[in-house]
Amino acid sequence: MAGVVDATRAASTEDEASLLRHLPLEGRGFWLSVLLLASGAAALFYGFLMQVLYGHAVTGQGSHGAIWGIIVANIVNFIGVSHVGIAISAVVRLLRLERYRQLARLAEFITLAAITTAVMNIGMDVGRPERFIVNTLWYGRYHAPFVWSCTVITTYVVGSSVYLYLAMRRDLWLCETKVPSRRWMYRMMALGYRDTPASRARHTRIVWWLAVIILPIMVSVHSVYGYIFGLQAGRPGWYNPFQAPYFVLGAIVSGFATVIMALAVLRKAFHWEEFFPIRIFKGLGVFLGFVTLLYMYFLFSEYLTGTYASPEAERVVFRDVLFGRFRLITWSAMLGGMLFPFALLFIQGVNRRICSIPLTVTAALLINIGLWTIRTVVVVPTFYHPLLPWEVAPYVPALSEWCIVIGSFFFFALLLLVLVKVFPVLEFPEVHESDEEIRGQRMPFWKMLSIGGSAVTGIALIATGIANRTQPEFFHPPVIWLSGIVMLLSVPFQICVLPERPLTRLIRARLAAPRKIFLRRTLTENYLVSAPRPIRAPMMRGSILGTRKR
Amino acid sequence: MITTSSRRRFLRVAGQAAGLVGIASAPLLAAEAAASPRKRKWGMVIDLDRCTGCQGCAVACRAENNIPVAGPTNTEKGRSIFWMNLLTTSEGEYPGLRQQFIPTPCNHCEDPPCTKACPVGATTQSEEGITQQVPERCIGCRLCEVSCPYTRRYFNWSEAEWPESLREQLNPDVAVRPHGVIEKCLFCHHRIRAAKDRARAEGRALTDADVRRLPACAQSCPAEAIVFGDLNDPESAVSREVESPRAFRLLEDVGTRPKVFYLREAKWQE
Repeated sequence: MAGVVDATRAASTEDEASLLRHLPLEGRGFWLSVLLLASGAAALFYGFLMQVLYGHAVTGQGSHGAIWGIIVANIVNFIGVSHVGIAISAVVRLLRLERYRQLARLAEFITLAAITTAVMNIGMDVGRPERFIVNTLWYGRYHAPFVWSCTVITTYVVGSSVYLYLAMRRDLWLCETKVPSRRWMYRMMALGYRDTPASRARHTRIVWWLAVIILPIMVSVHSVYGYIFGLQAGRPGWYNPFQAPYFVLGAIVSGFATVIMALAVLRKAFHWEEFFPIRIFKGLGVFLGFVTLLYMYFLFSEYLTGTYASPEAERVVFRDVLFGRFRLITWSAMLGGMLFPFALLFIQGVNRRICSIPLTVTAALLINIGLWTIRTVVVVPTFYHPLLPWEVAPYVPALSEWCIVIGSFFFFALLLLVLVKVFPVLEFPEVHESDEEIRGQRMPFWKMLSIGGSAVTGIALIATGIANRTQPEFFHPPVIWLSGIVMLLSVPFQICVLPERPLTRLIRARLAAPRKIFLRRTLTENYLVSAPRPIRAPMMRGSILGTRKR
Repeated sequence: MITTSSRRRFLRVAGQAAGLVGIASAPLLAAEAAASPRKRKWGMVIDLDRCTGCQGCAVACRAENNIPVAGPTNTEKGRSIFWMNLLTTSEGEYPGLRQQFIPTPCNHCEDPPCTKACPVGATTQSEEGITQQVPERCIGCRLCEVSCPYTRRYFNWSEAEWPESLREQLNPDVAVRPHGVIEKCLFCHHRIRAAKDRARAEGRALTDADVRRLPACAQSCPAEAIVFGDLNDPESAVSREVESPRAFRLLEDVGTRPKVFYLREAKWQE
């Protein structure tokens, strides 16, 4: 163990210090941004509080009016943003895009922050927030898109958390020695990681497979959002088999735009220029431009079908979107939020001399705003044209809705800031390059039993849930299949985290060790003293890595 | 030896229990079979030729089902609740203006999109074909409201309120719904239940005459335009009227197969 510590210490250089530059909670900029983001996020809770106290009548929605409003568009937006983090990370890992490697974890944090915000938005939009999760899990009907969405989101959150954790575990372990002031936290989170070649190889392998598994899950998450709209036969403008791929593409567009913006801000704040050279922005910009172009093509195709010779009900909605009361919103979103930023990205992409971060970020910002707006134009117009000629009250988003929407963005940024401040965002370079070939010794029997048992139990639970889907009042199938999914996703976690020693030796070691906790602690202290222990060292300004000799 | 005896005892007890259950349930099953020879399928026929557009049905429905008073602001925002509403269409310009009134309760579709979309089973189809709603279960996601092609479901945008003068007329048979949940027409199913109880107390089967004007809207219709009954009973008034060449349903191409039928209005020459 001490040898390993020595090795990492030997490898530590100036740029390892800069890898952790973002962790300390200091600087005026940081506290100011916390203050700003927290006060912005308060708007989210203010809007929610208004809805709880006075009912949803404080919104601009109505039964003979917009039944869903901009909060639903916002949910779609944040689900979309959440979509892309893992996509980037998985693609970087699968295609070995070394240049974008340091971007992966930031993108994963964006996923977690965005999906939390999205689920909170769902909770704030439903009429009965206090029973929405419990009832959906306990009484969920297999035929409802909402239950599918609950299932895929849970799978996605659990899966991407496991993925994020396993990919980050080595860095947490390294932080244990490198960030003395938070040693306890990182030690707890590293869960007894040992940096052996076998262990590294195992983590790499498992994370690669998780990336393979997570990509289709991620597509399913946004497809289900497409289905929530696309399966409504009574809603002209929504009922469309095209809806799922359309939503997935929209998610990729807005997700990439958000990643570019977040990256630009953090790069500036933490001086990450050496990890994220400008050409990374160019590469991301080219991809963003490409998917934006694809999205415009999808939009064109949809609008053409909607206005050309479609049934009257559809045509009325699309006419309204393009030439009627929504025309200003739609056209400004399409021209200013897609075509213009696409042109910017295109010019940057084809011209070798132009490579500008402000330009890319401007385009990303415009695209984000444009996509958000287009989503409101997907959600709202159909309510103006019900199939029966009811009188419809015009929809004007009210204060509480704007509070929730704008507060969500602040809340999302705040969550992202917290994640960035708590966890190491940048990966430490690995010392050993040829880990791929190394395989550890045979798994001990007890570990194999635990892993195999979890896998079998997980599959059995999923099968039980699906088989009993028609008796939701008795079997509560969503709970059953979700616990099965969680069980199944614990398998990669167990493979990496459970120790490799035979159980008998583990027990013997435990028996041999002193029972009393304080005795154990003295033992640990002894050990840590023998290995040079950088604790309570004088802090240097601007760094919590003050213990290292420079 | 102990195991044998305990197993034997267990088998004996289990056998006795099974026998008891069988004996006890036999008469119940027989009674059930006698009471309902076939499944009922409640339906409604509304004769548009008879309808005068007086909105009596809508008012009666509000009174019967404790539908809250929305107030001017909420009404303007489309948040007032109507389990029974009048869909008004007009054709032509003033001198030749022709208005049509279509009373629209919930259609209680045979293939309802709302029950499919509901994630928690708060809205389901009853055995007698009523699309029912359980406010205590509802999470207020409004997916059913969105999926209804007829817009016949209503969300409680705020806490139910009545002016002081109307509080005394609230119906004790119908629970008031809290805010944040969906509610809808239930074909006055508390009245159906009461009628069944009455028939059972009198020791007879429920007849078509018992239910023909059963829902509050049908009862209050001065033109007797609304008829209620069992569509599975070939002798019932609704079954006979559904056979009329004038009969149609709303938005048949959506494929929801409503159980509320309309009789087309004839064009009167004046």
